[in-house]
Amino acid sequence: MYSIYFIESSKLNQLAQDLTKTHRVFAPVEKRANFTCEADFSYKKFSLSSTLDFNPYRAVEPLKSFFTYPHEKVADYFSAEKNVVDIPQETVVFGVKSCDIAGHKIQDFVFLEGVEVDALYRAKREHTLIISGDCIDFKQVCHCLAWEILPYPTWGFDLNLSPLNEGFVAEVGSRKGEELIAQHKSLFVPIRDAQIAGRRAKRESLVDRLKRHLLPQNLVTKDSVQKLVQQGYNAKTWKEFMLTCVECGGCNFICDTCHCFLLEEKKQNQPGLPAGGQNAKLRLWDACLYANYARVAGGANPNKLRAQRLRFRFTKKFDFFVSNLGIPACCGCGRCIEVCPGKIDIREVLKSLAEETKEKT
Amino acid sequence: MKNIYRPIEGILEEIITETSNIKTFVIRSKEDFSFRAGQFIELSIPGIGEAPFTPSSDPNVKEKIDVTVMKAGRVTSLLHSAQKNISLGIRGPYGKGYPLEKFFGKDVLIIGGGVGLAPLRSLLFSLFAQIDKYNKVVLRYGARSPADIVYKQAIPEWAKLNKVDIMTTVDVGSPDWQGNVGLITTVLNDLPVDVKNAVAIVCGPPIMMKFVNLKLLDLGFDPKDIYLSMEKNMSCGLGKCGHCRLGKYYTCKDGPVFTYAQLQGINDIWD
Ligand code: SF4
Ligand code: SF4
Ligand code: FES
Repeated sequence: MYSIYFIESSKLNQLAQDLTKTHRVFAPVEKRANFTCEADFSYKKFSLSSTLDFNPYRAVEPLKSFFTYPHEKVADYFSAEKNVVDIPQETVVFGVKSCDIAGHKIQDFVFLEGVEVDALYRAKREHTLIISGDCIDFKQVCHCLAWEILPYPTWGFDLNLSPLNEGFVAEVGSRKGEELIAQHKSLFVPIRDAQIAGRRAKRESLVDRLKRHLLPQNLVTKDSVQKLVQQGYNAKTWKEFMLTCVECGGCNFICDTCHCFLLEEKKQNQPGLPAGGQNAKLRLWDACLYANYARVAGGANPNKLRAQRLRFRFTKKFDFFVSNLGIPACCGCGRCIEVCPGKIDIREVLKSLAEETKEKT
Repeated sequence: MKNIYRPIEGILEEIITETSNIKTFVIRSKEDFSFRAGQFIELSIPGIGEAPFTPSSDPNVKEKIDVTVMKAGRVTSLLHSAQKNISLGIRGPYGKGYPLEKFFGKDVLIIGGGVGLAPLRSLLFSLFAQIDKYNKVVLRYGARSPADIVYKQAIPEWAKLNKVDIMTTVDVGSPDWQGNVGLITTVLNDLPVDVKNAVAIVCGPPIMMKFVNLKLLDLGFDPKDIYLSMEKNMSCGLGKCGHCRLGKYYTCKDGPVFTYAQLQGINDIWD
């Protein structure tokens, strides 16, 4: 069990400012209202003169964007040393939410487990502090509870903040978190039982509100979803929903769990790049909704049709990951719903599948 | 900690023309490199492109690796126009090799189509190296025409080996072709193998594998004894990039060789 403290808002701000001396600090900042009239929060680099916002729900950017990049160099041709992984800068990420943490489990599984560990990812993971927070509100698209993910983190953070009165209940979740507290001991005060009770009450009330928001939506459940996508393999749903897809890849890129990438080559002395560079290997985020994602040399493509690509995405999330990790690769953050110019809604796709397969049996 | 994306350097020592669109590239690695038959590598032209290939050389020969490549896409075309002595990048080996121990004491039936004989050649070398361990090795190889046959000099030599039975067929013959004419499935009828104590290993274009697999099931092969080489657009080779997914598997790390028993129940495996 790790420790738990209380920290006043002004002290938390001071903590963030202090951290900028040794770390790159990122925190969500409110953007102008979007078309749904909900406020959006977007990550900005935090500086000595910034003040910390407490985002009521997740930011626009997925947590993965701190650990893999849309475009990054992963190796040189040919480096002499076998162990060429630069130590990344110490980083702190504020404003992480429960869905992000749950979704990020997929990224950890992909890059930290399996046949080999991705040393680049691991280094970034080791040198990044995750400071999460309870949700105190939700977006229209939020549906974490449908996947049995609570809107407050209980694991996977270094420090979690739950707003209460003029400050935060600060729960430590890791050894790294304990070290952080030890270095800034004077900012924290011991927790009182009443504050723990206060946190519980706030959490329960948000869960209640979110339940009331989700119940009428009649969403597909965690334990039925794998069977559903298996049985719905030949469903019309895939085609019907993909009529409006413009293949922007937005849903893939903004997803907390989508991890696909493509290794590419960077040529030495390419126009537009600094001269004298070495040939290098790049890693680019890739999207299974792109037409050429699955194309093999010679041109054969098992996902020629858009419907096949949507099905590929859903069987990956709800069949592959349930088989291989025991959980679906959706955390209910709803980012893909907001980003999609074609208005394709993951909740609706699953519901439509459920209806189609029900009709058949 | 090891950077899993780092390519090692190999020098392209020799280029052997096999057919009008197939060449074998002989590469000497600058660092220790070894593989088991059936494993694949990612081969790159630095700064230009990378693609997966299964080596075709003898896994017991450590100094050099052969990669037999058919001109099919961008990277393979560039390789085909490459000159000797350039540096190439090698990553791997990746995937599971053939489980040779499981073949001990059995009739090993190998069926190849076109350039699919390339990975099988490295398997054949592994089998020949311990031929006493197997009951016999039967190779059935199909090519489009006599001109499309790879390893033309080697095949008759292999056929002379003890316990080895080889037959080649072509879809379309030529005036001086003395062998069989017909699709690969036509030479699978009177096989000198005991299906109850045999394994079948198939590598070739998807359409050929599809029909050969059906034929083998017809002949009474157990799906657990049929080994198929699956082709997907692999990128990382490490089970991370997602591209090669086949149902609940990644072709790169769980394959590229699968038994048909593993693939039963997965939709559209030949697409
Ligand atoms: S999906 Fe749940 S955890 Fe995520 S922001 Fe919305 S309410 Fe919070
Ligand atoms: S965000 Fe929408 S339009 Fe863009 S690729 Fe995804 S489904 Fe298609
Ligand atoms: S090639 Fe990247 S996951 Fe298989």
